[in-house]
Amino acid sequence: MVLLRSFVPSLGALLLAAGQAAAQGVLIDKSEIRFISRQMGVNVEGRFRRWKANIVFLPKELGRSKADLDVDLASIDLASDESETEVKRPQWFDTGKFPIAKFVSSSIRDLGSDRYEVSGTLTIKGITHDATVPLTLKKDAAGNNLAEGSFTIKRLDYKIGEGEWADPETVANEVIVRVRMVLPPVK
Amino acid sequence: MTLHWLAALLIVGGFTLGLSMVDLPISRQKLQWYAWHKWIGITVFLLACARLGWRARYRAPPPVEMPAWQQRSATISHRLLYALMLVIPVSGWLYSSATGVQVVYLGWVPLPDLVPKHKELAAVLRAVHVTLNFTLLALVCVHTAAALKHHYVDRDSVLTRMLPGSRNP
Repeated sequence: MVLLRSFVPSLGALLLAAGQAAAQGVLIDKSEIRFISRQMGVNVEGRFRRWKANIVFLPKELGRSKADLDVDLASIDLASDESETEVKRPQWFDTGKFPIAKFVSSSIRDLGSDRYEVSGTLTIKGITHDATVPLTLKKDAAGNNLAEGSFTIKRLDYKIGEGEWADPETVANEVIVRVRMVLPPVK
Repeated sequence: MTLHWLAALLIVGGFTLGLSMVDLPISRQKLQWYAWHKWIGITVFLLACARLGWRARYRAPPPVEMPAWQQRSATISHRLLYALMLVIPVSGWLYSSATGVQVVYLGWVPLPDLVPKHKELAAVLRAVHVTLNFTLLALVCVHTAAALKHHYVDRDSVLTRMLPGSRNP
């Protein structure tokens, strides 16, 4: 179930980042994209099993840094097989037509004390909105950069849950997305 | 006695609800039924605790005359019933946690997640929860049959002393 994918750095990122005290690529099997939605007052946790990231992190050259993510929406891990099947339907993610959710960063700001703010656009179900992801950077024991943060999206902005499911009393509009990215240092 | 009949009602209701809700298509109603099912389960757990507390303070009324093997069987099945009233709700709570769904008692008291979300574990816990419930069903049938046998065949007071209006607590 846990998809083990080895670290595949993007060649471009590698070239760009070479020689910098920086990070590129992401250790997929150590990283995660989770979310918490609220169904009738109850927190329901899920995550995405498959996604790709193109991350270049140059603390001294944030203008050349980026964080682009492609999330395979059909790889969703939810409470039950039944709910996983449900959210792939047209009323929700419509993964047949829109298999990928895309985040493309446009700028990364240094907020000081190892906090950063990644701004960009998030596209789900063919609908694009601006999104801002605050991240806190830490070093883990292996010397990797650990970037963690959470942000809230409004599911109805992306038409996730239409018709009978549009009612935020049943499924809250706000969905908290938690990202944890482990970025290896450049050797 | 009141606790006994309240628990009986909730167990029958919770069991029936559990059986019906799993076949519902995903809908608001399904989510609601799951919530009710969980609230009932937690209530049964609390009632069982209250009854055990009561029993610790006040002895059970002395058993009516019956053969020793019946007495022994009754003791064993009562202990099993209590055990299941405690274990089944916890197994359901564990299962809910393993699927990543929080339990919020009465839509008001959020209970902590006992285990992190884990798909394989959830499948195991589901099987455990279902198996324990059918064990409980079998035991409830035996319990009921024994009560009716005492009433209609032995014509003793085992059933009537559990009815409202009786002087026993």
